[in-house]
Amino acid sequence: MRINDRVFGMLMLIIAVAYGYEATQFPIPFGGQESVGPETFPIMLSLLLGVSSIYMILRPDPDEKWAPSAMLIELGIVVLSLLAFAWAIEPVGFMPAAALVVSFLSWRMGASITKSLITGVSSSVVIFFLFNNVLELALPLGLLEF
Amino acid sequence: MDTMSLLMQGFAVALTPESIMFAVIGAILGTLIGALPGLGPANGVAILIPLAFSLGLSPTSSLILLTSVYAGAMYGGRISSILLNIPGDEPAMMTCLDGYPMALKGKAAEALAISAIASFIGSFIATIGLVILAPILAKFALKFGPAEYFALFALAFATLGGITGKNQFKTLMAAAIGLMIATVGIDISTGVQRFTFNTLELFEGVDFIIAIVGLFAISELFFFLERHAGDGLKQVAINKLKLSPKDIIKVLPASFRGAVLGFVAGVLPGAGASLGSFISYTVEKRVSDKGEFGKGDPRGVAAPEAGNNGAASGALVPMLTLGVPGSGTTAVLLAMLISLNISPGPMLFQQNADLVWGVIAAMFIGNLVLLLLNIPMIGIFVKLLSIPPKYLMPIVTLIASVGIYAVSHSALDLYFMVGFGVAGYIFRKVDIPLVPIILGMLLGPEMEKSLRHTLVLSDGDWTALFNSGLSIGLWTVAILGLVLPIIVGPIVRAKMAKSKTATKGD
Repeated sequence: MRINDRVFGMLMLIIAVAYGYEATQFPIPFGGQESVGPETFPIMLSLLLGVSSIYMILRPDPDEKWAPSAMLIELGIVVLSLLAFAWAIEPVGFMPAAALVVSFLSWRMGASITKSLITGVSSSVVIFFLFNNVLELALPLGLLEF
Repeated sequence: MDTMSLLMQGFAVALTPESIMFAVIGAILGTLIGALPGLGPANGVAILIPLAFSLGLSPTSSLILLTSVYAGAMYGGRISSILLNIPGDEPAMMTCLDGYPMALKGKAAEALAISAIASFIGSFIATIGLVILAPILAKFALKFGPAEYFALFALAFATLGGITGKNQFKTLMAAAIGLMIATVGIDISTGVQRFTFNTLELFEGVDFIIAIVGLFAISELFFFLERHAGDGLKQVAINKLKLSPKDIIKVLPASFRGAVLGFVAGVLPGAGASLGSFISYTVEKRVSDKGEFGKGDPRGVAAPEAGNNGAASGALVPMLTLGVPGSGTTAVLLAMLISLNISPGPMLFQQNADLVWGVIAAMFIGNLVLLLLNIPMIGIFVKLLSIPPKYLMPIVTLIASVGIYAVSHSALDLYFMVGFGVAGYIFRKVDIPLVPIILGMLLGPEMEKSLRHTLVLSDGDWTALFNSGLSIGLWTVAILGLVLPIIVGPIVRAKMAKSKTATKGD
């Protein structure tokens, strides 16, 4: 199967066209038109991307196997957990958020629940104190602040 | 000559207690990073940049720290090659050929010690080469005008796939993607907003450090999860070291040859460390008397290791003098220079002479530190290597995100990091190389600036790009770099694969 490259090439071709079109719509800079405007370089790039994506569609390489859909869903959940960590770091605080995300990740990578909890809690506490007290970079305390 | 006195001044910078401390810390961290399977040198340096940045280290200290990490990672890469038969990164592949058989014969400690000595010789000779070659090249590069620089950047992208590159169009595509990301933000010379969609956070563009950590480190986490590689791999037990001076003398010629070949391969655009270690190994096999290459010949460990490290230092020559890195890790080092507000290139040697020579001197010291650390402390590194990734990778991910967060204290940067991680995963699935993307983001603004300068000077005449002999020469090399791999690439790759299977067949 050589579907990956074709789909990806198609996607990149759309991006190249959209990007190039957007570049032609830039307002004329203050001081009038010059031989090289803000749009010149982007237009060259959109041509480069366009040509290489057309090549990719016409001469695709053999596919690398995608993970089974169960694994893709799991990876999706991991992405969500990382995003949740990013969201939680300020309102909830670094230590609880980091402990949760590290435990979750190491559990998903195959550690037992107890061991992953130990890894998560200890690493987040150690890193918090290392950053706050030794390196003097303040990380948010969040809920633990009172 | 003045190179000597400048170097001496460099040593004065590098021998302050503070610098030595950073060199030692960097060497230890680097060895660990290199030794952990899946965390190549580029990853390691990328994760440490935001940390060095948010700690507010001086440019000299952070450069010393990160170049020792770089050197250390090259040392560390061989540990997993020898004990696990898994190269930490591509250049370490050739070390597996004789290193792993040696370990199987119960000579793991000897293989590690020999490779440490060979690595030292490789880096040492290549650093001397750097001292001699870099100022000459820098002086030469002063002749470059904007048109030549534009050609040079094009050359950098064209040769990045390397002689072994598989699909040149994918390299070009990656470069285009990186350059496109670089155009996001307010245009420096006209003040026009480009692709910002009126979002305040995008006015300054996309931070390449976030992109590096996301593309390399976060996508690596996804791959680990996908492969269920959480438990790590079985490693060969390590024996007690029995190394006589005679054994060392026996591998010295191989190390010297490997070092020189590696350095040359490192300096040349498009060759890089993989080719350096490959050439060193094959030449050694041909030059030496009939040894037991492929079955655990010590010289088969020494030559590629020296070549690999020689190439790593050699790659710093174009990076420092021209501002054009030749490999992933040097691209990451360039990212650090740019974020410290130091623009690499010929002027670097004039404006920041103390910094450059301080770093070069620090490389000598870092290497010595690495050699001294590696022989007695190898046991500790090996123990750390046996921590399963299921505990380690989550912690590494955490440290990476803390580094990103500490720079700006903005959760948005973390969202971007995860986004780049997902993108990196997809890019790797469709075989789009990541390094040209990073390089595009780094060089984009400079490349556009030189295009502008050329065309403004010539009043819009595009032939000005090819007006001087020098720029025509650069364009020729660029085109050759793009076309040659299509012809030569399959042959070289077949040879590399052949020497690999030949060993496995035994």
